[in-house]
Amino acid sequence: MHNINVSILLVLLLFTIVACENDPTQDSLNIQEMSWEDISDQAKGSTVNFMMWQGDADINDYINNYVAPTLKEKYNIRLNIIGGQGPEIVQLVMGEKQAGVKKGQADIVWINGETFFQLRKIEGLWGPFVQKLPNAQYIDFDNSFINTDFQQPVNNMEAPWGINQFAIIYDSAQISNPPRNLQELENFIKANPGFFTISNDFSGMTLLKSFLAELSGSPTGLDGPFDEEKYQKLSTRLWDYINRNKRYFWKEGTTFPKEHSKMNQMFASGELKISFGFSEGGVESKVRQGLYPKSTRAYAWDNGTIRNANYLGITYNSSNKAAAMEVINFLISPEAQLKKSDPTGMDSNPVLSIDKLDPEWKSKFEASPKRIYGAQLSDLANKAIQEPAPEYMIRLYEDFRKKVIEK
Amino acid sequence: MRNKFSHIGLVFFVLIGVIPFAAAFIYALLYSLGIVGVLNSGFTLQHWQTVLASSEVFKSFGYSALVAAISVVISVSFALWLALKFRKEFDQKILSFIIYLPLAIPGVVAAFFTFQLFSRAGFFSRLAYQLGWINEVSQFPDLVNDALATGIIITFITIVMPFFVLLFLNVYKNERVGNLSELAYSLGASSKQVLWRVSLPVILRKTWTLIALYFIFLLGAYEIPLLLGQESPQMLSVLIIREIKQFDLSKISEGYAIAIIYTIVVSVAVSALFSRKNKTLNEI
Repeated sequence: MHNINVSILLVLLLFTIVACENDPTQDSLNIQEMSWEDISDQAKGSTVNFMMWQGDADINDYINNYVAPTLKEKYNIRLNIIGGQGPEIVQLVMGEKQAGVKKGQADIVWINGETFFQLRKIEGLWGPFVQKLPNAQYIDFDNSFINTDFQQPVNNMEAPWGINQFAIIYDSAQISNPPRNLQELENFIKANPGFFTISNDFSGMTLLKSFLAELSGSPTGLDGPFDEEKYQKLSTRLWDYINRNKRYFWKEGTTFPKEHSKMNQMFASGELKISFGFSEGGVESKVRQGLYPKSTRAYAWDNGTIRNANYLGITYNSSNKAAAMEVINFLISPEAQLKKSDPTGMDSNPVLSIDKLDPEWKSKFEASPKRIYGAQLSDLANKAIQEPAPEYMIRLYEDFRKKVIEK
Repeated sequence: MRNKFSHIGLVFFVLIGVIPFAAAFIYALLYSLGIVGVLNSGFTLQHWQTVLASSEVFKSFGYSALVAAISVVISVSFALWLALKFRKEFDQKILSFIIYLPLAIPGVVAAFFTFQLFSRAGFFSRLAYQLGWINEVSQFPDLVNDALATGIIITFITIVMPFFVLLFLNVYKNERVGNLSELAYSLGASSKQVLWRVSLPVILRKTWTLIALYFIFLLGAYEIPLLLGQESPQMLSVLIIREIKQFDLSKISEGYAIAIIYTIVVSVAVSALFSRKNKTLNEI
C-alpha cells in the first residue's frame, strides 16, 4: 500500500541517487556549430532516453517494434523508453535542476502546450535545434497550427511530431442529430439525462476550451495572450452553464471521471452517449479493436474544436544531444511518419507537408490506406481552432475543480 | 559481541529508517515554506495560509478518517464473528487457504476487481440486466466513484478483514480464550456473558493497537481511493499527490504543506499509541 511518507521519501532518495551520478558536462556546447555529418557520427553507438506517454498500445507498438529496432539497425542507437508525461516531465526536470544534475535522465521528451510553456519557464529545454535537422525541410513552418504551440512561437525549441484535432463522437445508430453547440447540447442532455460528462483531465479541459471559445462568439475569440478579464467574463458563463445543467450529467454531475480513458470505456459500454477526444476522436482504432460500434462517428463543434500539434524536445541537461537529434530527425522522416500514419497501427496524422516531399514519398503517402470508420483530419479542417494560451488551461483546471466539482 | 551487533542494528535503523525520512520531512517543510523549489522565490507563509484557509484539507481529513473508521469497524466486527463462530472450521486446510488468499492481493488489483464487479458496466450490473432486474445500466446502484465511498469501503474490508480473522484466531489460541470460556461456563455464565465479558474483552485488549495501526494505514491509502473514489472530497494521499503533481507549478508547495500536516498528525497519533500500549504489541 502506497503511503505518502514513502512516496516523498522515494522522491528524495531519487534525488540523492541522481545527484551522485553527476558527471562533468560533455562537450555538447558546440553542437550548434557542428555539421550534420559530425552530429551523426557522434550519435552512433549511444543510448537515448525517451520520456513519453505510454498509455496506448498502438503507440507503444510503433515505438517498441518499429522505431527502436530501426534506430538500432540504421544508426546503431539504442532507444530506451521511460514512462511519463506533462507534469511528470516538468517535475523530473525541475528536480534535476534543483539537485544540479548535469546528466539528465531523459534526453527526449514528448510534449506540447503547457508542458512546453512550463519547461521554457524553468529553462528546461535545450535549443534551438530543429533548424539543424535535415528532415525539418518537409515541415511547413508557415502553418500556424505547427509554428505556434498554445499561442507560443515554437522557435525551433521543439520539433513537431504529430498533428491532430479534437472531436466529439457519438453512435450514429442511436443518435441521428448530435448536438453541435452549447444550446443543442443542453437540449440533448435534458432529453437523455445521465449520458454525458466531462473528464477532469487534459481532454476534458480541451473540450471546455472549445466551449469557452463558443461563448466568446467566435472561433478566434481566445487567440492572443491570456486575458484575465476575458477569462473571468467567459468562464463565469461557462460554470453557470455547467452547474445549471450538471444534474443531467453522468451521476447527476456529483462527480466527474478522473481520466479520459474511463470515458472511452463508458462510451463503449453504453454508459455515455456522447464522448470526445484528441486524434479526431480516436474512433478508428477503437472500432477496429471492437470496442466501439462500427456506426461511431466523429465531428467538430459548429464553432470549432481545438487542433494542435505535439512536439519532441531535448532536455537542457541531456548528456547525448547529438543522438537525441538523430532520433528526432528519424522520427520526422517520411519513412517513420508514413508508418506512424497507418490506420491499423498508431493512426497518427503525418506532420509533414506532403507537397514538400520527393515525388517517390509523395506518391507513397497518397497511396497509403486511409481510415475506414474515423474522420480524416481534413474532414474537420474548416472547424479547427487554435489552442489558447496555456494559462487558460491552468485556470480551467483550477476553476473546474473549485466551481463545479466541489460545488 | 551482542553489544556490537545491536550497535550495527541501530546504525542501520538510523541510516535506512530515520535519515531518509527526516530528510524528506525537512525537504517538504522547506518546499512548503518556499525556500526550495525552482519556482519559489524565498521564505513565505503564503502556501500555508492558502492551505489552512481552504476547507479542502480538513474535509479530506474528515472524509478519510470516516472511510477508514467505517472500514475498520466493519472488518473487525465481521472478523470477530467469523473467528468466534467458525473457529474449528478454520483449522481445515482449504478454508485457511481461502482466508490467506486476499492477503496476497495488492491494493491496485483489489481495486480493479471491485471495479470489474461493482461498476455500472461491471459483472453484477450485467447479471442484473440479464436477469431482467434492470432495463438500463443507469438503474444499477452507484457503487464505485460514488459519494458514499461504497467501492472504497468494500475493497478495504476485502483486504483487511482476512488479516483480522487470522489475528483473532491466533489470539484466541494463545490467550486460551477457549479454556477461559469453559471456566466461565462452569461457573454459571450464560453464553452472552461469556462473549461480552470474556472472549471479546480478552481479544480486543490484545489487539487494539494493531486495529488502530490499521486505521492509520487505511487513512493514508492511495491506490484504492485513487481508482474507486470520487473527485471531491478525495482521500488524503490522493489529494496530496494531486497537489504535488499538478499543472500549476506555483501551487506545488501547497501539496507539501498538506503532506506535512498529515505527517505530523499521524506521527503524534502513532507515538501516543506506542508510548501507552508498548507492552501489548510486544506480547503479540
